[in-house]
Order: sequence, then C-alpha cells, then structure tokens
Amino acid sequence: MSKVLRLDKKRLDEFVAALFSRYRLFGPVDSGGLMRFAEVESAGALRLDIANPDESAKGIFFPQTETLLTGNQGEVVPTQEPDRPIAVIGIRPCDARGLLMLDKVFGTGEHNDPYWTRRYRNALIVTMGCSTPRAGCFCNWLGSGPFSTEGSDIALTDIGDAILLEPRSEKGMDFLKGIPCEEASAADLRKAADIKERAESSMAGKVDVSSLKSALDRAWDSPLWDELTGKCLSCAACAYLCPTCHCFDIQDEKASGTNQCRRIRIWDSCMAPLFTKEASGHNPRPTGKERLRQRVMHKFNYFVDVYGEMACVGCGRCIRSCPVNLDIREVLVRFINAG
Amino acid sequence: MPGNCYVPISMTVDKIRTESDDRTLRTFDLSFRNKEQTFDYLPGQFCQLSILGRGEAPFGIASSPTEEGFLRFTVNRVGVVTTALHYLAQGETIGLRGPFGNHYPVEKFNGQNVLIVSGGFAFTTLRSLGVYMFAHRGDFADITVIYGARRPGLLLYCDELAEWEKRDDLHLHLTIDKDVAGWDKKVGFVPAVTEEVAPSPRNTWAVVCGPPVMIKYTLPVLLRLGFPPERIYTSLERRMKCGIGKCGRCNIGSKYVCTDGPVFSYAELQRLPEQF
Repeated sequence: MSKVLRLDKKRLDEFVAALFSRYRLFGPVDSGGLMRFAEVESAGALRLDIANPDESAKGIFFPQTETLLTGNQGEVVPTQEPDRPIAVIGIRPCDARGLLMLDKVFGTGEHNDPYWTRRYRNALIVTMGCSTPRAGCFCNWLGSGPFSTEGSDIALTDIGDAILLEPRSEKGMDFLKGIPCEEASAADLRKAADIKERAESSMAGKVDVSSLKSALDRAWDSPLWDELTGKCLSCAACAYLCPTCHCFDIQDEKASGTNQCRRIRIWDSCMAPLFTKEASGHNPRPTGKERLRQRVMHKFNYFVDVYGEMACVGCGRCIRSCPVNLDIREVLVRFINAG
Repeated sequence: MPGNCYVPISMTVDKIRTESDDRTLRTFDLSFRNKEQTFDYLPGQFCQLSILGRGEAPFGIASSPTEEGFLRFTVNRVGVVTTALHYLAQGETIGLRGPFGNHYPVEKFNGQNVLIVSGGFAFTTLRSLGVYMFAHRGDFADITVIYGARRPGLLLYCDELAEWEKRDDLHLHLTIDKDVAGWDKKVGFVPAVTEEVAPSPRNTWAVVCGPPVMIKYTLPVLLRLGFPPERIYTSLERRMKCGIGKCGRCNIGSKYVCTDGPVFSYAELQRLPEQF
C-alpha cells in the first residue's frame, strides 16, 4: 500500500469534516456511560479516545430492527436507503473483520441481501488501531491482532500528538487524496511500531486453535455440553453483542385501525427457545443444551465448513458481558483438550 | 434473482378448495397479477407465502412446472400465518417469494424406476413430482406410488387420485390406518404396505415424505428391501424466515434446509448430526 500520512491532532476536525462532506458518519459515542456506535452530527460527539466500544459496529450495517417493506396487500414498497453512503470511524480491527464475515453471509450466494449490500459495499471503513486491548480480548487467537487491517479502507494509529493514516484500499487512497497531509516521519513510524508492539504483548497468552474445528467434529455427544448448559442462562447477551452473529427474525406489524403494514427484521438468537420452534409445537432444539451447542458449533465448526473460517474475531464482548461469567475461551480450550 | 429478494411477487388467489374432511387443509391455486411474470421451478422446491401484516411461512409447491397458468399450495392450518391464509377469499392478493431450495433429482431418475412413499399432507410436493413424471412419462421406467392417511377424508387431491387409479402406467397403492365402511383399498400403516408392495430396488429410486414417525419406520424397510441410502430421498421441513440461507435457523449441522435442501438423500442425512 502507499505511504503512511501524519495528521496533527489539531487538524482532526478537518479530517472528520471531510468525512461529513461525503458520508453519513458513524463512530463511537458515549451513550449514558455505554460506549456504542451511532451516527454523529459533529466531531465533538465522537469518542476516539476510548477502548473498544461495548457494542459492536455491526448494527450500523445490520440494524437491530429495520423495516424491510411497508404497504398493504395490494402494494408493497421496500424501504429506501439514503443515497449518501456510510463512513465509520474508530471501528477496531476486530469489528472490521467481523463485517467481512457478515458480508460473506449477506453479500454472497445466489441471493444477496440488498439492505446489507448497499450499505456495506459503498461504505468507507476507517479503523483505529487498538492500543489498549481490553480484558477478555483474544483476537490474537483467531489469526488477527490489535493492529490488523483486514476490511479497513484507512487504518489510523493514535501516536499521541498526531494520528497516522494508512490507506488500505483504493477507496481509502482516493479519500486521502483530498486531505493535505505530510508524510509520517521515521520517528512517527517508530512510535507507532512501539505502540503496536506494546498492545500485542499486553494480550494474554495465545492459544493455538488450529485443531478446534476437528475437535468439534467429534464433540456432538460430548458431556461438556451438559456441563456448560448448567451455567448458561440462555440470555443471548453474547449473540446480540457479537460482531459476527447474524441470525434474524422477520415479523409483520399492522397499525391498528389502518391498512398500513410493515415487515420488519429483528436480530434473533439461536439461544432463544422460540428460534426453531415450529407451529405444530415440535422443536428440533428443545433444550438449552441443543441451543448452546448450536451457537458454539455454528461459530467454530459449521461456519468453517460453509465460509472457510471461524465466525469469531476475538473481541471479547461475550466474555465481558456474560452475566454468569461463561468464558468462551475456556470453552474452546476444553474442547481442544478433549478433542 | 435480481433486485430485492425480500419483496414478494403479487399473486391472485384463483381457486380455493377445502381438501380434508376436518377442514384443516386447504388448497390454493395462485396466478401472477403481472401476467408477464416468469417463474421456473422443479418438483420439490418451496416458496414463502405471505400476507403483509400477518406474516410469512414456507410451503412446498404442489403444482408441477408442466402445468401452466397456476401455482398450487396446500396449507395446513396450524399457526398465525396459516390461519390467515385459510381466511383468504377467491380474488384476493397474497405475496409469494421463491422458488427456493433444491428439487427432487429428476435428472437422476431418467430411465429408472421411481417409488414414491408418502403419508398425510406431506403429499404436496410428491403430487408435483408425480404430475411432472406423467408429463415426461417416456423418461421414466416403472412408477409406484404408495400414499397413506389416517382415514380416507384426510387423503389429499382425491379427485385426481381417482384419475391416477385409472392409469395403466402407474402402480398406485392407497392405504388408511384403520378400516372403514366403503373403503375397498389397502388398510395398514405406510411402512407395512411399503414392505408388501415396493418394487425391486434394482434401478429404482425412492422418495419418502411424511410425518417423522412414518419416515422413521419406512427408512429401515427400504434399507431391508435393498435400497442403498444414496437412492432414498426425502424432503425436510424447518422453521424458516428468509429462505435464502441468511437468517440462520433451519440448519442441520453445516447444511441449511432452505438452500442445501429441502431435498436430501438418506446418505447425506446419515453424515449430518441427528436433529430431527
């Protein structure tokens, strides 16, 4: 890729203004103490100084709830997306990689998902290198790292008084052409390398997960599922916070007293009993055990079969947010050791 | 499918027929509101039928692509969407998405014998297969159909079955669970009748659809008769939302029923974790 640029922090507003001029801008904001991604109207609302937000960035492209169609029986109209494309700033490498995985699900195959595709494929992804990995972060297990640039158009590194900008795609390079910047000095690059090195070495011991897929191939009847189910509340916090969980429900709504209806899509989770329950009452996954097994197998076994990689980026949100402290890293290690 | 795969095609309900004596099964013949619309499908595929405001649900296509001018679906009234469908009147509009999924491997059946084994209202896509094979009758050798229901009033498409009985190029065996007055055909469960009347497995492909308990007891019969798992096919059902492999709920192991199925060979199913 081309040369790394240096943007003095005093000029950050200028960079953000350039994003505003061409994109609807999303980034990390402080929402009453909860750090999440939201559309911002001004640079002041952005929080680029925080660690990885509590919520993942997937909701920008795959909203928790969205209207697919509106109308009545005679006429059905799909929801129109604003013409202005989306830019995300401050998304961490793990979430950017998660979007690439979601794009495999939504953007490939015989039928692509138009709602996802028009948002994601036109978007500018400006990642922020993760100088302070959080407790529970384990992206290094999954072939990634706090400064990975997969799925990034422009990769930022905060070096204190300045931000380094590295174009990672043609789209990113084109955008940076409009931002007058000096080239990063050798000293800047050394500083960035130090920050990267410190972040990488701050992460807990890396586990080799290369045998996990085959261990899970043999784990269908493992007694471990029963043990894990004993702890899991099936609350699905893990699924909602996960940057790669993509399961959804489609429901219809009718405004009372009118003919106006809409068909909405809502995040759903395989942890919910109703997820697979059929109208007859039959449920192919009748207990928490089958549902927990589905979640783990889908991410670390089935997704590998279908898309060639594990559907986990190691962001650690499921670990930090689990109300019963069920740590997916421990689950994986136990299956690897049992395998 | 170009465009937005969530937008249903607008269909007109042309004909409605109550199919069973308990009135839980209704058959709908639908036609495209836009007469220019084209729709290519094969027996075994399914569609999502919807009434905006009530919801959407998957149904196997009961018509055959060789029948022009209508698409047929038989709907068992069991939940919110199917109840709303049962309330439809002739001339009303409903939404349709599809066709989705794979189909019965009719190309493999070419020049071969075909055995269809069915129970209850799972007969829908097998009617499609039967009509399709009759329309290309020269492509197939012997055709045998075994179809059972609890009682005569629950057999689908009775008028049509009466026509099928007259055919000299079809071995049709209708059966009911318990004898009733006026019934002059077979009495007994589908697995037992299969054991009795199934053709030789030599150059024969079997397609089995029915309630899980029927499939559970019919598969061993076919294996015992010498049908290899590669030549036994079935069609699976699952709760589905999108129909295109994205919403994540109809998988069995790494296979999605909506895109990798709904038609699977028994050999394929044996390689998947059991989750019926």
